[in-house]
Amino acid sequence: MSTGAPSNPAVATPDLSQDVHQRIGMLTRQLHDSLQGLGLTEQVKSWAGEIPDAKSRLSYIARLTGEAAEKVLNNVDQAKAHHDHIAAETRRIGALIVKDPVAAVAKGHVMNFIHDVEDATKHIDKNLTNIMMAQDFHDLTGQVISKVVNLTASIESQLLQLLIITAPSEPVNKPADSAKPATFVVHDHPVLQGPVVNPEGNPDVVKGQSEVDDLLASLGF
Amino acid sequence: MANDLKFLVVDDFSTMRRIVRNLLKEIGYAEADEAEDGVVALHKLRNSTFHFVVSDINMPNMNGFQLLNEIKKDEKLKHLPVLMVTAEARKEDIVMAAQQGAAGYIVKPFTKATLEDKVNLILTKLGLK
Repeated sequence: MSTGAPSNPAVATPDLSQDVHQRIGMLTRQLHDSLQGLGLTEQVKSWAGEIPDAKSRLSYIARLTGEAAEKVLNNVDQAKAHHDHIAAETRRIGALIVKDPVAAVAKGHVMNFIHDVEDATKHIDKNLTNIMMAQDFHDLTGQVISKVVNLTASIESQLLQLLIITAPSEPVNKPADSAKPATFVVHDHPVLQGPVVNPEGNPDVVKGQSEVDDLLASLGF
Repeated sequence: MANDLKFLVVDDFSTMRRIVRNLLKEIGYAEADEAEDGVVALHKLRNSTFHFVVSDINMPNMNGFQLLNEIKKDEKLKHLPVLMVTAEARKEDIVMAAQQGAAGYIVKPFTKATLEDKVNLILTKLGLK
């Protein structure tokens, strides 16, 4: 039995909890006062609004990558089935030709095989195109990831500034009105929005190519 | 004639450039070059002969709207059809593209059939097909 261990942890825990609770309370108060003093409360409200958007953007990435993987695997399965069929037919026709070349042609085995190959290559070509098109998630998710990274970088940068300004080594009695340096720039949303992650219920965006075509047609294009 | 047309595919994502080039090849237009943004595209357009531009909008350095504007301001290039292929789905962006002289607008993700339809429609309108 170790004598160095706390003799009665159940008694020490409430004190520790109270201390931690008090410290968190002080930090929260200090953060609140600092944000107010620096005029950052509006910025914090803006972050609070953007974080759910970031969450839905990340969900959009998960959905798109999942759908792309599913699409690729389905098309690979289909292409492999066509490929296996052609491989098996090639072996079968080969054996027939070796056995009796004239009969293989005369009975239509060779022509049937040629039609099979033609049909399978059409299907495989379509599968390959689908696999290629599935890679468009890279572009769409890349744009969304870039937006989330920008939001994270903005929050990190501003929190860092806050930390620098409120660090104990800095003069504590900095005037509140001069404590808003040029680095606290609220970045406007870029003019271009990138992929729309939640088009439903947003009248300002189109939900598909048919709506684009309708809109352009209404403008006479 | 139409199959000899040379396309310029402008997109900052190399994956998308490859997809569009491959699709163009599949629909009968094998001649294509690529540019990763508007600046590179404009340089290529001014130093080589192209018949059709397929451009993204959201790109660094010079975006698709700026590229479209530069093309339409340039006496030697303004005849070029520019098809926007983009994730920008806001109606105001679509209207702006049309007003600036875009020949067509496709929203991503798109299908091979959509690209084929729009390219052929534009070429037919211009009498190139």
